[in-house]
Amino acid sequence: MLDWLPENVSVFGEGVDHLFRLIYYISVAIFVLVNAIYIAFIIRYRRKRKGEKAYHYHGNNLLEFSWTALPFALFLFLAFYSDGIWEDIKYSEKTPNPDLVVEVMGQTYLWHFRYPGSDGIFGRRERGLISTTNPFGIDPEDPNGKDDVTTINSMNIPVNKTILVRLSSMDVIHSFFLPNMRVKQDAVPGQWVDIWFNSIKTGEYEIACAELCGSGHYLMRGVLNVQSQQEFDTWIDEQYTTARAALANAQETTNE
Amino acid sequence: MEAVLHNKDHGHAGADAHSESFIRKYIFSTDHKMIAKQFMVTAIIFLFIGGAFALFIRWQLAYPGEPIPVIGQMLPDTWVNDAGAVTAEWYTQLLTMHGSIMIFAVIIPLLVGTFGNFAIPLMIGADDMAFPFLNMVSFWLFPLAGVIMMAGFFMEGGMAAAGWTAYPPLSAIASYGQTLWIVSLFLIGFSSILGGVNYITTVLNMRAPGLKMFDLPMTVWAVFITAIIITIGTPVLASALAMLFMDNFLHTSFFQPENLIVPTRDMTRTAGGGQPLLWQHLFWFYSHPAVYIMILPGMGVVSDVISTFARKPLYGYRAMVFAIVAIAFLGIIVWGHHMFQSGMNPLLGTTFMVSTMVIAVPSAIKTFNWLGTMWRGKMEFTAPMLNAVAFVSMFVVGGLSGIFMASTPVDVFIHDTYFIVGHIHYVLFGGSLFAVFAGLHYWFPKMSGRMYSERLAKWHFWITFISFNGTFFPMHILGVGGMMRRIFDPTVYDFLKPFQPMNEFITINAMVLGFAQFLLVINFGYYWFYGRKAKRNPWRANSLEWQAPSPPPHGNFDRPLHVYRGPYEYSSPESVQDYLPQTTSPEELEEQRRHHERRLEQQNTAEPVN
Repeated sequence: MLDWLPENVSVFGEGVDHLFRLIYYISVAIFVLVNAIYIAFIIRYRRKRKGEKAYHYHGNNLLEFSWTALPFALFLFLAFYSDGIWEDIKYSEKTPNPDLVVEVMGQTYLWHFRYPGSDGIFGRRERGLISTTNPFGIDPEDPNGKDDVTTINSMNIPVNKTILVRLSSMDVIHSFFLPNMRVKQDAVPGQWVDIWFNSIKTGEYEIACAELCGSGHYLMRGVLNVQSQQEFDTWIDEQYTTARAALANAQETTNE
Repeated sequence: MEAVLHNKDHGHAGADAHSESFIRKYIFSTDHKMIAKQFMVTAIIFLFIGGAFALFIRWQLAYPGEPIPVIGQMLPDTWVNDAGAVTAEWYTQLLTMHGSIMIFAVIIPLLVGTFGNFAIPLMIGADDMAFPFLNMVSFWLFPLAGVIMMAGFFMEGGMAAAGWTAYPPLSAIASYGQTLWIVSLFLIGFSSILGGVNYITTVLNMRAPGLKMFDLPMTVWAVFITAIIITIGTPVLASALAMLFMDNFLHTSFFQPENLIVPTRDMTRTAGGGQPLLWQHLFWFYSHPAVYIMILPGMGVVSDVISTFARKPLYGYRAMVFAIVAIAFLGIIVWGHHMFQSGMNPLLGTTFMVSTMVIAVPSAIKTFNWLGTMWRGKMEFTAPMLNAVAFVSMFVVGGLSGIFMASTPVDVFIHDTYFIVGHIHYVLFGGSLFAVFAGLHYWFPKMSGRMYSERLAKWHFWITFISFNGTFFPMHILGVGGMMRRIFDPTVYDFLKPFQPMNEFITINAMVLGFAQFLLVINFGYYWFYGRKAKRNPWRANSLEWQAPSPPPHGNFDRPLHVYRGPYEYSSPESVQDYLPQTTSPEELEEQRRHHERRLEQQNTAEPVN
């Protein structure tokens, strides 16, 4: 059944899949064991004639104790074992230093992405300035924000680099889902949530919305391009050039 | 005081039950058995509505954009497009209403409303509930709420469309259908609280003489504990609903941050100050215990059915009771496991993971005790037993798939996928609904005074069991493949395209599953009136309801009861029979034994040994 998992290409995804496999094998073992006993009982302990008496027995405390203690130990083990991987994925103090920070803003039914400009600094943003034309609410007065790059439904990242996604939404709750990276995090309006990942393979992957956000929920699809560092540099430079050109254009219009 | 007076009134009620007017007897009845039947009939009607909605959903997922066969063109144009295919707008309404109806108007009314009302007074030897009038109000709020929920159909924008979980801001900025949904749930909450208070009072105060708490059948224990969860949890939901109502209708901002752009209100901005996650905490604080509200009574019914048909005492009775109490308590502190990926502090994720893993323990205890009950039993596989046996097996699947979600890192991937949909249906259909089928068949002779058709019931069971697994097991695989729940058209995504044949397979099974339920209705509908007359105790069971006539008259019992023992003394060496009713006195028992010995002696003298 686990062969159906989408290909994993992220570093911590290996931990998720490992845990998935572990719980899967434990579950299958328990399921087979319990049902084998069950079916054996169903076959063996049928009533053969009317009024036939069964074994009169009310239970055994030692058995009750052991089938309380054993599952308890197993489930606590699973909880603490899972927690190590969980902390690596989501605890902020365990997040590695990012090589690239990308801001992601959900809008019904689009994903907006924002990269810092060539200066490597994001411009100041403010929630009050958010609008459909300025999804991140970038402050037009702040020079750092003027060369920020924004894209829609398309995210480019370099391979083998730690990416920190800073996630929010401008209207309703969305959920940023990268099946191949084993990333899922709700985008909640009014707050920023950080989630990191690290892709180990170049290629084109899909971005989905996993939280019902309206009737167009299913259309909220984006594309994640994992590129070599070189390709990514070329791509981002192009974006800078376009951004600068647009900026120059805009300044010209204001000067006139 | 009211309860006491009422009991006196009913002392001779059995005699004048026939003189009641039609309206008093069938519509505004205060008789717990009639109210149970009203709950049952109304919930089964909603079961078919909710089931039809599910089939429309399945059709769209298997054959996206294709017209619905036969009836596609007849549906209103707010639901389907010109070709007769489901529209995305209607689809989100369908999935919202399917979930809401099945949970609030089918499973809870069947388990708590029907079995709670029918079984509690009969099983504790009372003549009615403690507050019969409240009981009537509790019922009538329910169809009213159901109609209000569906009334969104007549409003602009249609029915509620924010999912049954109604996460704001989506639900706070939605159309009037959502407002009606909120009002409807509020009323259902009222109905639940009235019922809950009634069950608690009845169980505590109205038990027959000699009936101790630890001699109660598991059904009564389970509904009693469920009633406590209901009275604790429902007010929290009600307060959350009140806030959502104000956000939705009066444009306040309990659940919305400032400067939120509202597409449905001409891109205006919210005043702010609220938090979307607050709703999720409040909602799940009720709705996770609600999952146990929907499974605990089922566990109670199944315990009774398995013990009866295995002719064996329930294994570990006290452990079973304590497991229910443990589930109820732990159920209140696990709500955060619905919110692992919600943006809640991940540290809380760790906390809720531990409590969620621990709640699997009492469920395991119950499963092992059911196995213990069957061990060295003499099982007879009647329809109630088949459904109960299926319950245990399906509940194991539902429980095990729950461990995947409890593990926070695995939940990162499977959260909001079809894995969750598969899991919840194994618990609510494979669990709760099979328990409902078991209970309905088990008490059918007592409710109607007649026997159902065993052959038809077995056909119903096997078709349901097979198509149920064909429908919901592959959903786990879809979830492993990453298919998101609540999407209108999976073929939009490249990584989901390979799953289309599986979606078709599920839909075909779902249709069989849906249409198989007509067998249940035919069986019950026909044999309710034309079945063979049922004896007082057709299953040779121990608990008190089987001491009443079938069907019991108004006031229930035709002779005074005294309880001497627990309900699970099957195959007791004390008795010459394979069962020992709770009411059989030691003197009667002695008399039976002497009678039996005399008969044996007579047989021995009549047929001399060769």
